[in-house]
Amino acid sequence: MTVLLAVLWKDLLVEWRSRDRIAAMGVFAVLVVVIFQFAAPPGSAPESRGHLPGLLWVAWVFSAVLGLNRSFALELENDAWAGLALAPAERGWIYLGKVLASLALLGAVQLVSAIAFALAFDVPLGGVAGPLAAVAALGAVGVTALGTLFAAVAARTQYREVMLPLLLLPLLVPVLLGAVRATAALLEPQPLPWPPIRLLLVTDAVFLIVSFVCFEYVLDE
Amino acid sequence: MSKLDSLAARAVLPTGILLAIATPIWLWLVLQAPLDSVQGVVQKIVYVHPPCAFAAYLGFACTAIGGALYLWRRDEAWDRFAASSAEVGVLFCALVIATGPLWARGTWGRWWSWDLRLTLTLLLFLVYLSYLLLRGFTEGNERTARFAAVYGIAGLAIIPLNYFAIELAGGRSIHPENLQRGSLGAGMRAPFWFGVLTALLAFAHLLARRIELAWLGDRAARDAAAAEEAASWGT
Repeated sequence: MTVLLAVLWKDLLVEWRSRDRIAAMGVFAVLVVVIFQFAAPPGSAPESRGHLPGLLWVAWVFSAVLGLNRSFALELENDAWAGLALAPAERGWIYLGKVLASLALLGAVQLVSAIAFALAFDVPLGGVAGPLAAVAALGAVGVTALGTLFAAVAARTQYREVMLPLLLLPLLVPVLLGAVRATAALLEPQPLPWPPIRLLLVTDAVFLIVSFVCFEYVLDE
Repeated sequence: MSKLDSLAARAVLPTGILLAIATPIWLWLVLQAPLDSVQGVVQKIVYVHPPCAFAAYLGFACTAIGGALYLWRRDEAWDRFAASSAEVGVLFCALVIATGPLWARGTWGRWWSWDLRLTLTLLLFLVYLSYLLLRGFTEGNERTARFAAVYGIAGLAIIPLNYFAIELAGGRSIHPENLQRGSLGAGMRAPFWFGVLTALLAFAHLLARRIELAWLGDRAARDAAAAEEAASWGT
């Protein structure tokens, strides 16, 4: 448990001092929202607005992949990786520390890009801010839970920046589907439906457990 | 050579002979099978498409099981088994995805539909393509094996989640539940089940060959490394 807090504190401190990961993720997410604005058909026909929740999540997932790539690439510098691997603790706690640090960054990026999204597409998010934040957090847990595991894998392969999305995106379908459905209901606006939330909860739990157990085999010296 | 490798090497010839006998019989049975009164000749894909799907799913299950056994036992043979199953599984899955749209166009009137089983199979195909890419881009046998095992297990764990997710998205299956209802027409059952047998034989034969090849490749790499080391000592 102390290892978890140490890794979390270290990651957040490094990020606070450089602020490069969060800046890159934030600018990228806003940029994706702006690009989608240009790609969307003009006018506000209901059928074109049906894609908006999906666009928002695509922006979030892409910027999460960008940030997760850095999460372990950082450890390769100065052989910090070996220090992590030699830490006298269950490696799963290192994993959870990394997940929480990435989650904090992604949460901040989600907040900024949601505001950009609301302005760009003229979507009133103020009234549903609470439930939307809950859905965003549930989706973000799923993305970072599996993303952190495979960021550690991708960091030790060739073409690591390319490898992470290739590994991660096919496995993120349940998270994306659940999150997009729940977000779509909120933007309607309708009360939050239970089935997508249940899917998100189950997926988050499965991803966290599988990754916690498998991280042991991923972090080598 | 471990038990698994020698088993694969010994299985190459018998499975090959059985496959060579089964294939013409299967083709003859397919030709003899009655034409479907509604769908016509396109329905004959039933003797290729589901059998290939069974072989593909078997391949992916073997990949995950082989990966888990590798992590447990740390025996390279299980890694060769997992990697070979993934390659053969991807091959059969490609056949499934190629033959599916031909049949769909003939009966549903469109090449593709985001139907439950279709989407699940496509996602599995993409996951295992990524699995093969991961193996290709990782250096070092032991590390490749570990990473691939973890990814193969995650790929299997995702199947039930995908199932619920696609169902949630309204992707109800329009695939017929023929096998459960036993509604294959008269004279179609024998060629169908013989097709399944032939596909599984082809799977076994290709898997055995691929494992043998992987073992030979690993041995050649080890010999080359040993020769290089000996040469460096000599100079």
